[in-house]
Amino acid sequence: MFNLLAQEAASNVDAGKAIALALGIGLGSLGAGIGIGNIFGSMIQAVARQPELRGELQGIQWLGFALTEAVVFYGLIGGLLAFVLV
Amino acid sequence: MKRLSALALTLWLALPSLALASTTEGGEEEFNPEHDFEIGEWVPIKLGPLDLSINKAVAYLILGSLLTMGLGILLMRVKVGSKNEPARRQAVGEMVYEVAQTQVAEQGLPHKAIGRWFPYVATLMLFIWVVNIISFIPLPLSNEKFTLPGTEVELPTFALYAATSSISVTLALALMTFVFTHFEGLRHNGPVKYFKSWIPDVPKAMYPLIVPLEILGQFMRLVSLSVRLYANMLAGHMLILTFIGLIFVLGNLYIAPFVIGAATLFYLFEVVIVVSIQAFIFAALSAIYIGSAIEPEH
Repeated sequence: MFNLLAQEAASNVDAGKAIALALGIGLGSLGAGIGIGNIFGSMIQAVARQPELRGELQGIQWLGFALTEAVVFYGLIGGLLAFVLV
Repeated sequence: MKRLSALALTLWLALPSLALASTTEGGEEEFNPEHDFEIGEWVPIKLGPLDLSINKAVAYLILGSLLTMGLGILLMRVKVGSKNEPARRQAVGEMVYEVAQTQVAEQGLPHKAIGRWFPYVATLMLFIWVVNIISFIPLPLSNEKFTLPGTEVELPTFALYAATSSISVTLALALMTFVFTHFEGLRHNGPVKYFKSWIPDVPKAMYPLIVPLEILGQFMRLVSLSVRLYANMLAGHMLILTFIGLIFVLGNLYIAPFVIGAATLFYLFEVVIVVSIQAFIFAALSAIYIGSAIEPEH
């Protein structure tokens, strides 16, 4: 009986960890999604106003995209670290 | 497009190593995509506490550096092929050069430093791009072995692996940028002016709060630079391998067309966008860091 309870507790902890990891990554990607949408939206507006600046803007656009997108992965790595270490 | 679909078709080659990754361990069927990220140890070389063994990541790095050199020579120097081919290759090479010059070096580096640091940032860009792109081509460089039917010959299976999905590799690259940044900052400005330039214009009362944060920020650059590349490549590979691995997790062959289709979509996204963006971003940020250390007032 006791053994069974211990097993259940262990599986509960695992389930909790899995939920926490998924929630963390999900919220992280929510923020990054908003950010990336913002960047591309602004890029479209900027190019619509001044099409001749497209080449110059593109470099900045991809820089911003990568910087924003990386936020998800910080969350992912943090979550994986917590998942493995705890 | 034809080349791209051929590349995507080679995904099938990675199937056997994934099948082996899901072998029974301890009586319980378990699937571990992280199995593919173990680097193993092929040629052990130990120098006291230093572990300089040749492993999977080292093999990929050697291959990557050879291919980087080969790519440069092939694009800009070799004059084989039919009449138009060398010119066409040279045009591709000049396009790469122009991206490195106008988008990376001139955005970040001040004018007087371009001559010295352009080779470094351009090399970073090309090298990371090559290492990233070979990670998406199944190569017979994995730890799993299979025996040829009917013989005793053991061959490694095909597998996808990125040297940049190991934190040691990206951290070493980021450390180079980190060291060069502060070296150039100290050389051009002298220690007093350089360290003062870290601290923004704030009232004196804020200093106890701002100074530790700014010093921490310099080290956070190291973390963000290395973790961005590492996590991107790791997550991309994990995603593709997990999708294909679903076949073995569920033990159902009928879902193969769907999961392979999904995996191919992610694969194309990674190959077309992520690989180039990450190489570009690493080089561009290195240039910006070095440039802002040389001329802090900008």
